[in-house]
Amino acid sequence: MSSGRAQIFADATEAKGDVIIEVEGVDKFFGDFQALKDINMNVGRQEVVVVIGPSGSGKSTLIRCINRLEKHDRGRIVVDGIELSDDLRSIQEVRRETGMVFQQFNLFPHLTVLENITLAPREVRRMPKKEAEEIAMRMLERVKIPEQAHKYPGQLSGGQQQRVAIARALAMQPKVMLFDEPTSALDPEMIKEVLDVMEELADSGMTMIVVTHEMGFARAVADRVVFMAQGQIVEVGTPEHFFTDPQEERTKLFLSQIL
Amino acid sequence: MTASTLKPSTLPSATTSPLAWVRSRLFPNVRSGILTIVLAPLLVYAAYRAALFLFVNGRWEAVTRNLTLFMQGTYPRDQQWRIVAQIVVLALAFGIGAGTASAVRADVAKEAGLALPRQSPLSVIRRFWSLIAFVLLLLYFASTATPWLVVAGAVAAFLVGTLARFIPTSLRNLGWTLAALALVAGFQVVSGTVGYSWIVTAIVLAAGAWSTFKFENVEGRRALLYRALVAVAAWVVTYLAYTQLVYPGVGWDYWSGLHLTLWVSSLAIVLSFPLGLLLALARRSTLPVLRWLSTGFIELIRGVPLITLLFMGQYILGFMLPQGTNLSSISRAITAMTLFTAAYVAEIVRGGLQSIPYGQTEAALALGLPTGKMMRLIIVPQALRAVIPALVGQFISIFKDSSLLYILAINEFLGVRSLVHAQADFRAVAHAETLVFVAIGYWAFAYAMSKESQRLEVRLRAGRR
Repeated sequence: MSSGRAQIFADATEAKGDVIIEVEGVDKFFGDFQALKDINMNVGRQEVVVVIGPSGSGKSTLIRCINRLEKHDRGRIVVDGIELSDDLRSIQEVRRETGMVFQQFNLFPHLTVLENITLAPREVRRMPKKEAEEIAMRMLERVKIPEQAHKYPGQLSGGQQQRVAIARALAMQPKVMLFDEPTSALDPEMIKEVLDVMEELADSGMTMIVVTHEMGFARAVADRVVFMAQGQIVEVGTPEHFFTDPQEERTKLFLSQIL
Repeated sequence: MTASTLKPSTLPSATTSPLAWVRSRLFPNVRSGILTIVLAPLLVYAAYRAALFLFVNGRWEAVTRNLTLFMQGTYPRDQQWRIVAQIVVLALAFGIGAGTASAVRADVAKEAGLALPRQSPLSVIRRFWSLIAFVLLLLYFASTATPWLVVAGAVAAFLVGTLARFIPTSLRNLGWTLAALALVAGFQVVSGTVGYSWIVTAIVLAAGAWSTFKFENVEGRRALLYRALVAVAAWVVTYLAYTQLVYPGVGWDYWSGLHLTLWVSSLAIVLSFPLGLLLALARRSTLPVLRWLSTGFIELIRGVPLITLLFMGQYILGFMLPQGTNLSSISRAITAMTLFTAAYVAEIVRGGLQSIPYGQTEAALALGLPTGKMMRLIIVPQALRAVIPALVGQFISIFKDSSLLYILAINEFLGVRSLVHAQADFRAVAHAETLVFVAIGYWAFAYAMSKESQRLEVRLRAGRR
């Protein structure tokens, strides 16, 4: 399905067309440890970028810098025209435009599914309750669990919880969705239901950055695959190029270990 | 769910004969058999002595003839109707609260499309049996008809209050406002409208108006303006009403007995909770000055015994307040108890805050919630749920510790005993009887609090596994 779009980005090292996320020369340190080294990456509107790499390679840190859950130490990050700085307002604005899905779901256990989803639209976008609930139900239908609206997260399976987390992020009507290993904490039989939802989201034209170990998903859905190791971007390419004809030794080694 | 999840083998069969029961429960093996033979006579003897004291030798006149003294202490007898009226008004307040709460539960269940679990009147008896037993004991001791009338009036007022459940859903917060106003009124029936209690009324009115008319359809800045106007209006109206309507009463310096104990400890609990919560948040603040101040306060207070704080409240608090401030002995005691409890509440809440995984904070921030809302809507509610048992334990503790006021020559529930034993009939006699009575009184309330906390814990955990 995404082959058509992949061709649009045939020269895959750079995003084409309208750029929504710019990452330029970003460094990030945790104490003495350098987690990100001179990261340069652009993401175009409606593009799906999958970030893969061994653990500790800085993939999660990279996307967490994009919505400022981590503060980058050097370089610049611009999301939809807003540069992330210490200015609290710019951070709030970027977070409003950016949805995030976590490995551990991080649903609010004291709120029902519906309340989880309506919370941010009501409190951040100041939407009336009724409107927020209508949107929430639409999002729940999109992730195919409208019947769970009045349950608490603890009553749902892992796959259902992650789908609620996706609906919660979507309810803010973000321009970009960040996925931080969304299927890594799931039982194998539940991975597919979450990936299916993500694939539909990609088809609908959502801009997505996905950190994952699901190579099948990367192959089928990604417009570009970014391979990271030791805090650096090692290789970028279309899925076809990346999986069949990797250029770098480090990439070949990684692929040989996991495929 | 309890009985059905137990294995059948662990349940005593209903058809077991008494003899088999004795054998399996008291003499299952040699060691237990010996224990039974040794302990059973001791227990029987202790029960016999206790029964002898309670029902035969005890001189309960010391209690029965001073029942009014234990309840309201030296409160002027010709003003006793105020106490009676207070009980009725408070019962009304609790009735309105209970009615509104049950209506809210019904709303929630309806919205979720779930059946509302029926609550039988029996469940109320099960929840508050210790208090009901204490009231029955008082009625049993009573020699006049007045206590019966008071109880009847209170029950009637409570039932009238529960009619609040018929307030329409859109005005639900009106129910809470009415309940709060009735609580304040209950206090003022006794104390009169003197002092600063009008401020409490103004706050309740403003909060009630804010939450009843949510200004949801109004633009951000204009809503703020409306709210300010409502607050000012509530303030002015209340102030004018109170200055016009000077209603005399008996200030709490003249209160004593169980009446005083309940008010003092309720106020200490109600005031210490928000203060402790703020201290806990300040201690985790990113602003160093706030953090140091809060930590310093908490550690200072926790390092000093309550009794010392109570004395300091009596003798030192005056130096720290502006000249001319004249705090009554009771106000000083409440201040000391509040500060003491707040420090412990702060540490309990801090524990709760630390138990919430960082992922919750990240999820809230990623959704664009500002820090304040993140704390208020996500972190604090979960933290408080996690520490209900410890929190209620602290509240029970300060309720019982209110008996220390006795040492400050304030005759609260325990201190009333000294008045009883100053009477010619009971000088140097019946000390045990009055002590047992007071102990039962404290226990009845403390146990009810503990039981309610368990219920709250279970209810708030519902749906979370």
